Amino acid sequence: MKISHPGLAALGLCFLVVVAWGPRGPKAGAADANAKQTDTKTQDPDTLIEPFTRPPLAELDAKAEWTDQSVLDGLELLRAKQAKEKPLATISEALKLTNTSPQNNAKILSALGRLPERTSDVNWDAPINRTLQMDVKSMNPILASSVAEFDVNGLTGFGLFGFDWTMRPFASKDAVVSWQTSKDRMADKIVLRNDLTWSDGHPITAHDVVFSFRTIMNPKVPVPAQRSGTDKLRWIEAYDDTTLVFFHKEALATNIWNINFSIIPKHIFEKSVQEDPTLAQSDVHVKYENDPICGGAYTIASRQRGQEIVLARRENWYMHKGKQVRDKPYFKTIRFRVLEDTNTSLLALKSGEVDESLLTAEQWTTQTKDAEYYQRNTKASGLEWVYFYFGWNVKTSFFSDVRVRRAMSYAFNHDEMLNKLFYGLYEPSNGMFHRTAWMAPKKPLPFYKQDLDKAEQLLEEAGWTDHDGDGTRDKMIGGRLVPFEFTVLCPIAADRIALCTLLKENLDQIGIVCNVRPLEFTVLQEKTQKHDFQAMFGGWGTGTDPDTSDNLFVTGELRNFCNYSNPDVDKLYEQGRKEFDRDKRAAIYGKIAELIYADQPYTFLYFRNSFYGFNKSLRGYNYSPRGPFNYSPGFTSFWKAVP
Amino acid sequence: MCTKWRLMTQIGNQTKPAAPAAKPRGFWDEAWLRFRRRKLAMTALGFVVFMAAIALFAPAIAGTKPVVCKYKGQIYFPALGYFNTHWENPVFAKDKFRRSYVKLKAKDPNSWAVWPLVYQDPYRRLGKDDVWPGQPENPTGDQGHPNRYNLFGTTQTGVDVFAQMVHGTTIALLVGFVSMGIAGLIGIVIGAAAGYFGGWVDMIVSRFIELVMCIPALVLILALIAILEKPTIWHMMAVLGCTGWTSIARLARGEFLKLRESEFVTAARALGATHARIMFRHVLPNSLAPLLVPITFGIAGAILTESALSFLGFGAPPPNPSWGTLLNAGRTNLNLWWLVFFPGTAIFITVLTYNLIGEGLQEVTDPRLRGSKH
Repeated sequence: MKISHPGLAALGLCFLVVVAWGPRGPKAGAADANAKQTDTKTQDPDTLIEPFTRPPLAELDAKAEWTDQSVLDGLELLRAKQAKEKPLATISEALKLTNTSPQNNAKILSALGRLPERTSDVNWDAPINRTLQMDVKSMNPILASSVAEFDVNGLTGFGLFGFDWTMRPFASKDAVVSWQTSKDRMADKIVLRNDLTWSDGHPITAHDVVFSFRTIMNPKVPVPAQRSGTDKLRWIEAYDDTTLVFFHKEALATNIWNINFSIIPKHIFEKSVQEDPTLAQSDVHVKYENDPICGGAYTIASRQRGQEIVLARRENWYMHKGKQVRDKPYFKTIRFRVLEDTNTSLLALKSGEVDESLLTAEQWTTQTKDAEYYQRNTKASGLEWVYFYFGWNVKTSFFSDVRVRRAMSYAFNHDEMLNKLFYGLYEPSNGMFHRTAWMAPKKPLPFYKQDLDKAEQLLEEAGWTDHDGDGTRDKMIGGRLVPFEFTVLCPIAADRIALCTLLKENLDQIGIVCNVRPLEFTVLQEKTQKHDFQAMFGGWGTGTDPDTSDNLFVTGELRNFCNYSNPDVDKLYEQGRKEFDRDKRAAIYGKIAELIYADQPYTFLYFRNSFYGFNKSLRGYNYSPRGPFNYSPGFTSFWKAVP
Repeated sequence: MCTKWRLMTQIGNQTKPAAPAAKPRGFWDEAWLRFRRRKLAMTALGFVVFMAAIALFAPAIAGTKPVVCKYKGQIYFPALGYFNTHWENPVFAKDKFRRSYVKLKAKDPNSWAVWPLVYQDPYRRLGKDDVWPGQPENPTGDQGHPNRYNLFGTTQTGVDVFAQMVHGTTIALLVGFVSMGIAGLIGIVIGAAAGYFGGWVDMIVSRFIELVMCIPALVLILALIAILEKPTIWHMMAVLGCTGWTSIARLARGEFLKLRESEFVTAARALGATHARIMFRHVLPNSLAPLLVPITFGIAGAILTESALSFLGFGAPPPNPSWGTLLNAGRTNLNLWWLVFFPGTAIFITVLTYNLIGEGLQEVTDPRLRGSKH
């Protein structure tokens, strides 16, 4: 079975999740709504797609020289992987373990992460209670932008593609018969299965995909996240109910991610989108918001805003005309509880009200080690490619000099942060790619360590010395003595504030005044987008493709908050997109990481691993660089054993 | 409330033949005498004085900077840096002390220093460069139980709770006094004008008071934090003051409305006194007593508001130590009882103190309650 995750790749593609900020703890925060506005140069007010004369299919088939691409099933992949591995412990041993060492963590994951050996092992009637760290704003998959929305839509929505734990993309066997790419890589041909239905019984066809594309590219529809990437597509043509061809503007390595977007039912929205392009306000849209037509393995059974969302297994998803055509989903119902406060969700986990909960570093270390916790639950951690940084606005007089930025990185006490603030649970970071990722530099970059002497030396080279003898460094800029006093912005969260305070104390030691300014999420977002700051604390989730980081570092990109600009980096991103050989791409992105390391527009701080508490009845959890849920199979591989 | 009666006593004081030797006691002397007899109120007052002393001498009680030191032949007071960083002599920055005065002897063997009573810092964890030989580094996480180095324990990030509480006293006291000082000033002037002039002035001012009452102080503070480039605790006090004066103004208005009809006002007017003189020289002293009561309660309220804001993370900008911020740190893990108990107790006692003082004031100045206990 494979539950498609529409939009997830799209999310990864250009909308790195803003995990760093937001008042609701580490997972909260949304891919932000206004970040990527598509260039609206296009004249036609109803669509951003330019007219295109499609070639007849026969002509296309004749000259395209199609090559087959992989059509896979995430669960099968995982099963094949696990078949080769011997479990490090039995289930009963693993359930007795306390997760105090990497060895125990490996044992727990290896034993409890396995898929069921026999179907009789699975409790098919089991419900699962999950946590959402923020409420879902919209049930319409193309309006989704936050992690919570992708969590829910990943289960209820219909999608054509997925990617596994190594971020390898593939077409999903649940939806697609075949996927072919033309030799010039300018077209992708997809043949859909003919046993797909929406939850109201209507068949899902190629026309739904085309309609969704057109809706996403309609500038009147407030699509927050998915237009970027999709806008790289030239055209999509449905030659019949099951045959689709995607035409690209350019032959790019990232095209595979561009053809992956959320799909909505044409028969529901075709007329209503004309009347109400917001997809949210008219009576019809309110009706479908409350009772959406789903294309995925689950439908919405009930929903209480701000409280919970209950999903129910959809029989006509895995059954078609009385025959089982797809794997039966493991859970009968999925109850998402909205628990914004991490303390509350831990309490809910301890009392058995929820089956899984994200744990903070502090909760992992201090609040989940006693027998009371292990009575019902266990916990497991995995690497996650989410990194955090101090960003220096290079357009300010303080940080325009690379020596000053390096001095900042030398001044910060990285050891104190890693060992004391984060209990030694997080890994240091020296760039946007994790050292184990395929796109990371082959020769690992060294991590910055605190060296106040070096920091002072660099500052002095850059001209920041204490000229007026008041204890604070200053520099003559434009005939005026400017003291080195700046403000660092951070979200209102205790651990983030503690980090910025540590920076403040470190800089205070070398005569720099740093003011810490915690800001409410929306204000912070606005200020950073307007480049109206001197320094900021932030974090990014890693996309499925290294190219997704281009909107952070390429000159003038919308999420390049720090105004960073390096023509070499711009060129390399351009190259990386057009290169198809993975090794050559890796070399290009490695080079980018090195250039950025040398320029230090960010002081890279740490990679936040993912820590989850799981109820002891849960099985089948595995980690990917994007956490335990959002990849293929991800949540689909979770199951509960027969008690 | 009971101005008439007070007025009568006052007039009575003037007319009644006093005891031959003693000077007749004024209203405030009388009130103070009665106040002094109230043990609870006096204890509370003593506690406020005690807190003021703590706030004033905070850098000498807990800190890592010497109160006085002799360095390279000069006397310095580095501890003053806790009040204002510019008061800490830059010579230490120049000589690369990097805020760690443990190096004092190493840098100058002839130096001496008088250290604060407790060697702990309210802003940072004492790491390996900050501690004396033999003193352990501050523990972090859930290991910060109260011990002989950290009297009230440490926070999760390893900052000493005792030092933070001592330095946080300043904020707690200032918030109360400054915000209610502002509120008192605005409230009395506006209320006095409304009550004294009456008529359309009263009409407009009363509507204005009602308007201001509708502004939620908390929301205003949140908005202000978003707008200001560098919000400080002073801004918060100003907002609390500028929104909290309405009840005082209403009371003042009532008092003035009554007193302006009294004989001594008529007399003053007949003598040609200006409006301002009549208002503030003659009427105000007679109406001050009932006004002090809401001001005192207001101080308690302001302290609670500050704690609540800090608890929510909107309080004094970090790393300024505040009791509410400590409470907030304790909220995440209730096993760290010392993060809740000490600041919680401090807030409780302080608020109680002001309420006791307010109650005492009310009883000694309100003649109806005056006889109730004595």
